[in-house]
Amino acid sequence: MIPIIAWLAAAFVVRPAHITPTVILVKRPEAVKTLLPGAATFVAREVHLSERDAHRLHEAVDWSPDDGVLAFYTGLDGDRPVGTIMFVRVDTPHGPVEVAVAFAPTGEVSGVLVTKATVETKPWVAEAVRAGLTAAYRGLRPGAPVNGAATLRDKVGSLAAYMAEQVDKGVARALAAYGAFYNPEKA
Amino acid sequence: MIYDLRRADARVKWLVTCLLATFGIAYLFGAWMVGLYAGFTPQAVAATYAGPAMAMPMPPESTVIVQHPVTLAELGREERHTVDRDLLVQDTHVHVPMYGVIAAALAVVVLGLPLPRWAGYALIGLLFAAPWLDFAGMWLTKLVSPAFAVVTVAGGWAMGAGYTIVAALACWQMWGPEKGAAA
Repeated sequence: MIPIIAWLAAAFVVRPAHITPTVILVKRPEAVKTLLPGAATFVAREVHLSERDAHRLHEAVDWSPDDGVLAFYTGLDGDRPVGTIMFVRVDTPHGPVEVAVAFAPTGEVSGVLVTKATVETKPWVAEAVRAGLTAAYRGLRPGAPVNGAATLRDKVGSLAAYMAEQVDKGVARALAAYGAFYNPEKA
Repeated sequence: MIYDLRRADARVKWLVTCLLATFGIAYLFGAWMVGLYAGFTPQAVAATYAGPAMAMPMPPESTVIVQHPVTLAELGREERHTVDRDLLVQDTHVHVPMYGVIAAALAVVVLGLPLPRWAGYALIGLLFAAPWLDFAGMWLTKLVSPAFAVVTVAGGWAMGAGYTIVAALACWQMWGPEKGAAA
């Protein structure tokens, strides 16, 4: 009887609220180290969008950052910029996916990592990544079409292909944000 | 009493025991998940559900750029799980019906317990009120004020209490010593 009582007591203290569990695939610091190798120090550039600019971004990629702020993190080796990274979340009916997109100092995409998924979508994301999804984004510049999912056609299942389309969205958002707002004086 | 769990067929008792054990396991893992992704205090629940929308400032007249040094450790600190409105819509749609089914299953067990009518009403009310409070708290936290996180915490505790009371009473009634058995 004592184990039953202990078990019930343990059950009493639970608080089963409902959340869709996010799974961290790559921790942000690890993603930064991987995508910006050699960077020793970092600078955050937070772009607080005006209503007009937020609308412009929304028109372009059907997205606005949660709090109206775009955050870019630039890695430096001494005074030399190594690259810039941004984290973009894409909400899907199966929960959020987060994509880390790194840009070389010359402005093209130097690397992409999927940093977060959910318990449900993790295996689909993993299948898409194994099939070479993230490699498809290298070299893209702002304004270029993002078709990583198309490169996986016939290589992955339908759910992995679906998640690849969501990652495409994240990369497209990062490209649009970087192109328009990282160096606004040049835009 | 519609039926009496004490005198039910042993197979019914076994079914009820397995059902309660299954719910208990689910609740324990639910608690683990809450610990991982939300937290057990009103402050942690508010941080998960209120999200940045509650503190969202008015957009500036023109776009403003702020630059500051940041460390890798600070970058890692941003990884708190939050639930935005769209995700909460989805969670509510998926989980509320399931909560209803669980409450109904536990309420059927309550119907087999030798309780006064008022206690039966109260216990069944508690079983259904707990998920209402849980989700009402989440929505009020998101839409009205982070202070309503306490409603979600209360809902969670009510759910744990409802389950524990039903499970303890049912196990006692089904497997405890029978009154007058020694006579």
